[in-house]
This record gives sequence, structure tokens and C-alpha cells, in this order.
Amino acid sequence: MAKEVKFEEKMQELESIISDLENGEIDLDESIAKYTRAMTLVKECDDKLKNVEEQISKMVTENDEIKDFEIEKDA
Amino acid sequence: MNNDKYLSIGALTRYLKAKFDSDVNLRTVFLRGEISNFKSHTTGHLYFSLKDETSKINAIMFASKAKNITFTPMDGTKVLVAGRVSVYEATGSYQIYVDEMLEDGVGNLYIAFEKLKKELAEKGMFDQKYKKPIPKIPEKIGIITASTGAAIKDIISTIRRRYPLAETYLFPCLVQGEYAKDDIVKKIKQASNYDLDVLIVGRGGGSIEDLWAFNEEVVANAIFECQIPIISAVGHEVDFTIADFVADLRAPTPTGAAEMAVPNISDLLNNLNQLKIRLNESINNRLIKEKTKLKNYQNSYILKNPMMIFDSKKQKLMLYEEKINENIKQKINLKRIYLKHIADSYIFKNPKMLIEPHRNHLDVIKETINKEIIIKINYSKEKLNNIKKNYLLNNPGMLYQDKKIKLKHNIEKLEVVNPMHILGKGYNIAYEDDKVIKSVSDIKQDSLKLCFVDGFVYTKVEKIKKENING
Repeated sequence: MAKEVKFEEKMQELESIISDLENGEIDLDESIAKYTRAMTLVKECDDKLKNVEEQISKMVTENDEIKDFEIEKDA
Repeated sequence: MNNDKYLSIGALTRYLKAKFDSDVNLRTVFLRGEISNFKSHTTGHLYFSLKDETSKINAIMFASKAKNITFTPMDGTKVLVAGRVSVYEATGSYQIYVDEMLEDGVGNLYIAFEKLKKELAEKGMFDQKYKKPIPKIPEKIGIITASTGAAIKDIISTIRRRYPLAETYLFPCLVQGEYAKDDIVKKIKQASNYDLDVLIVGRGGGSIEDLWAFNEEVVANAIFECQIPIISAVGHEVDFTIADFVADLRAPTPTGAAEMAVPNISDLLNNLNQLKIRLNESINNRLIKEKTKLKNYQNSYILKNPMMIFDSKKQKLMLYEEKINENIKQKINLKRIYLKHIADSYIFKNPKMLIEPHRNHLDVIKETINKEIIIKINYSKEKLNNIKKNYLLNNPGMLYQDKKIKLKHNIEKLEVVNPMHILGKGYNIAYEDDKVIKSVSDIKQDSLKLCFVDGFVYTKVEKIKKENING
């Protein structure tokens, strides 16, 4: 299974595309292709940040078993 | 029910205290140990513990005695004390009431700390060049600390508050006591096998003894060798451990470590919105620029006056035409001048001049040929005369005299073998149907024709008798 591109890498790609576009040194066709790619990235990142699901913490035992782990709530 | 046998806790404590106080050995005690959990109360009383390798005792030094101390006591200070041992009724714990306290050299733990710090610094293990960058937006975070207590709670709740997208993996670990260092090393190595973006290693505050595991060389090495970036979070802001120096990033507290590990989600959203705005502006600016360019092209003089393109070409063409004509004219003139020059030349006007020298040569050749012919004719005439004088020509009969004799001889030979000639000697030839009969066996019919020298006889065969005539 292909590993999903990390959020940080997407943000970095997005930033590099924007500075390329701001430089204005690439030709128009490529600019439009890059813009389309950037819009996809924006949407993916936006979705990720807005559709937050609370992560359940995990605990790794000595035998490499992964269990759910919940911190004690304050009294 | 008889309640008399049940003692109050106070009664027991008082009893024990009386036991302690009545023991002369406990009235003056000299101890050697290390200060820990040192607290100086506003009243001037000092509260601390004394410990050595095996045991620990609570200690109190009242302000009236403490004012005599000649050094600044602190955790880790090795000291010599004198005092009495008694029971503190409120907590039911025994403790030493210190009368005198002297510094026993410098605290061993501090010495060990400074020594190791110096050693590792010399090895370069604290060098900035070995510090791995901490990812800005980690997705999986490993936490090595105790599974209970404030540290893990602070870390996880801070991560959830700031960046709930991150997954957290706790590797529960002993953080104090003699097994802590080995457990920390073990957990760092275990965590290295997981696909984690960053590791937080630490614990909450405590005495120097409590934090001591984080000052161990094995722990420092494990942190140094770990491939995952490590944020250390040991104790409170002021506590520095060896682990802090060797870690890729040092956080003052566990909460601080969590804040350093993850970004704030609202900052990220703001950032993303900014990027979106920049993206749209940049492409819009580009499009406007391109449109302006296009408009400029459309309005350009040449596109509006396309015949301009031909005009300049036409001019050039004309120029070339002129040049070519000029050139041709010049060439023709040159040839004409040359022609005139030839026509005017002496030779051309006196062509006989060309023949004269050849005519003389021709005469010489003519003369030579005539001479040669006369010589050849004379030679042939002489040869003819010689031939005429030849004997054979004068006596041509000589040429066939021999042939005549040979012919006569041959005729005589032929005469001998002529069959007709034999007929004259009495022989004749028998024929049957004009075929010569050579043997009696050839006779098939009863009539024969006999040939004689002077005619034929037709006869009948009466009898045939075969006989050997020659034999």
C-alpha cells in the first residue's frame, strides 16, 4: 500500500508551488497546471484540519502490543 | 464490649516517642549522608532528607541552629551532621533534629554530573551538528515516561488541545529508582522500531536523586544514537540533566515538550488560508499580466499594419534587382572591350601570317615524299628484271615434267587392278539381280547373269556343290 503523503509534505509542496507562481518565471500552461495541483493540496489540507477526529492515545507494551490508553481525568 | 484494649494513635505515637527519647544512643547521633529534598522555610527552619546508598532519613534543623551553618546547603551536598533522633507525632515518622551540620567535601552526585557532562561535551555529543530537526507537523508522537503522574497527563492533554490530529504512543517507563536508567534505554530502543516522527522523553520535577536516571551515561548514549528526533522534558525549568544536553531539543517541562512537538491547529488553518489567498492572487496577477501582454500584441503597429512586413522586404528586393542589373552590365562591357581588342589585333587582320610558316614546312615534306617514291620505283624495276631473267620462267615445261611421269605410272597401276581387265584373262563375274555373287551361299534363285569381257550370258543353275577350291 502506498504511504499517504504526510500533511507537512503537502504544506511544503503547496508553499513551493506558490513561490514558483509568485516568481512568475514558469510559462502559463505550467502555471495553470501547478495552480490546479495547489488547489487539490489546499482542499486536502483543509479537509484534514477541519475534519478532526479525536485520536485515542495508544500504549505500547514491552511485547509490542498496542493498547488504547486513557489519561486519568482530573477530579 | 470492652474498648479499653484499643489504643489511640496518639497514645502509640507518644509511647514510641518516649522509647526513642529514653534511648541514650539516640540522644546524640553522628551521621554522614547527602542532602536531598532540601527546603528552606520562611521561618528559617530547614527541612531535608539525608541519604546514602541504602537508606534515607528525614531531617529538620531549626532556625536557631541553622544560623550557624557555614555553607549553603542544597540537594546533593554531602554533609556530616550531629543531632538527636526522635519521633514527630503529627506524621508518626522518626527524624533527626540536627544541631550541627558540616559540608563533607562536595556532593558526589554533582561531581559525577559535572564529570560526565564534561566528558560527553568533549566527545561532541552536545554539538549542534548532531541535532536532528524536529518536524513541524508530526503525525505520530512517541512518549517515554511513566504511565501515571502529571507528566503524561500534561503531554497528552497539551497535544490534544493544540493538534488533535497527532497520534500519541506511550512507552510506559520507570523514571526513577535504580532500574530507571535501563528501562529508559530499553524504551528508547523499542520506540526506534516504530514509525514515529518525534519522541518525547522525560518526567516531572523532583529531587536530583529522582531525576538521576536522566544523568546516566547509558541514557545519554541511547538518546544520542536514536534515529528519531528526541525532545527531552525532565523536571522543572531550572533542572538541567545530561539528557537535556544530548537531546535534539530541550523542553523546560513536559507541557513545554508537547507544545514544541506539535503546531497549533488554528495557526495551521490560518497559515493555510494565507496560502490560499497568495495562491489565488499569484495566479490572478499572472493572468492579468498575460492578458495585458496579449492586448499589447494585438495593438502593436505591425499587427495593425501587416503590409509593413512586405514593404521592407520589397525595398530590399528592389535593391537587389538594381545591384544585379548593374553587375550584368559591367560584365557585358568587359567582354565587349576584350572582343574589340581581339578584332583589332594584327594577326586577326593578317590571317596569312598564320599559314606562312606551315607552307615552308609543307614544301620540305613534299620534296621528301617525291624522293622516297622514286627510290621505291627504281628498286621494284630492278627486281622485275631479275625475275624475267629467271630459268624456270624461260622453261615452264620443267615445272610439270615430273608430274607427267608420275601420272603415267599411276595409270599403269590402275590398269592392273581394273576388274574388266581380269575378264580378258578368262574370268567372269556372276550376278543375281545385279548383285555380285561372291560365294555359292549367295545364290538364292535358279537364274544367274554372267558378265564376260564382251557381253552377258543369262543362265540357269542346275546344281550347287560347296567345295573348298583354294584348300
